[in-house]
Amino acid sequence: MAESPLREPVLDAKSEVTCQLIDFQWKLGMAVSSDQCRSLKYPYVAVMLKVADHSGQVNSKSIEMTIPQFQNFYRQFKEIAAVIETV
Amino acid sequence: MAGELEGSKSLSGLLSGLAQDAFHGHPGITEELLHSQLYPEVPLEEFRPFLAKMRGILKSIASADMDFNQLEAFLTAQTKKQGGITCEQAAVISKFWKSHKTRIRESLVNQSRWDNGLRGLSWRVDGKSQSRHSAQIDTPVAIIELEFGKSGQESEFLCLEFDEVKVKQTLKRLSEVEESISTLMQAA
Repeated sequence: MAESPLREPVLDAKSEVTCQLIDFQWKLGMAVSSDQCRSLKYPYVAVMLKVADHSGQVNSKSIEMTIPQFQNFYRQFKEIAAVIETV
Repeated sequence: MAGELEGSKSLSGLLSGLAQDAFHGHPGITEELLHSQLYPEVPLEEFRPFLAKMRGILKSIASADMDFNQLEAFLTAQTKKQGGITCEQAAVISKFWKSHKTRIRESLVNQSRWDNGLRGLSWRVDGKSQSRHSAQIDTPVAIIELEFGKSGQESEFLCLEFDEVKVKQTLKRLSEVEESISTLMQAA
């Protein structure tokens, strides 16, 4: 996903239920080293999403992404904002 | 027999097999398999330490994420030491790392990620009418589907609904992340 160009907005929802995003927290991290790789030097963005389903139940989901993935995500969000204004 | 080991034809294959096993998590790449496929003429007692040596070298290179200067220095040192490698072998290893470095690094990064990784993002924007019994209000809605999952596990999906206000709020938060990234990249 990180390397894919801007995708056409095709949504064939695999999830049954739509949720509301209540809040999200983010952090920008740098993985420095690991037992497998002493010189990891890997920057990443981690988000913690707080979502509520239709019944009001709140869940948290944490998702990590590479910098290019985040930038793609951000770019797509800007496109959504542009489209939603014109609808 | 030592001549067989010194040859470079099978070494490339050996390094590929070692990488598949050590980094890409490919199952079933045993010492027996590598031996029978690549060095069948060499006695197993000779092959074993050779395999261990090559595995050690590859892991050192990957662990240090060596750039090409570091690689050349490291391999040169290996050719000079007792029980080290030949210049021909050094050349094969060098060529292998240059073409596989990115993929191996990607695997190492994925191995170190224990949380969900983002796998996909799809979206659409719907025009939405409110209740037909009150004044028709068209409130557009963005529906965003996130696909994510832990390494080696099936994907999970999360479908989120955003109205225009929420999209703008979220966008503002995301721009803060982008700013942080720019600062980090500049400092690097």
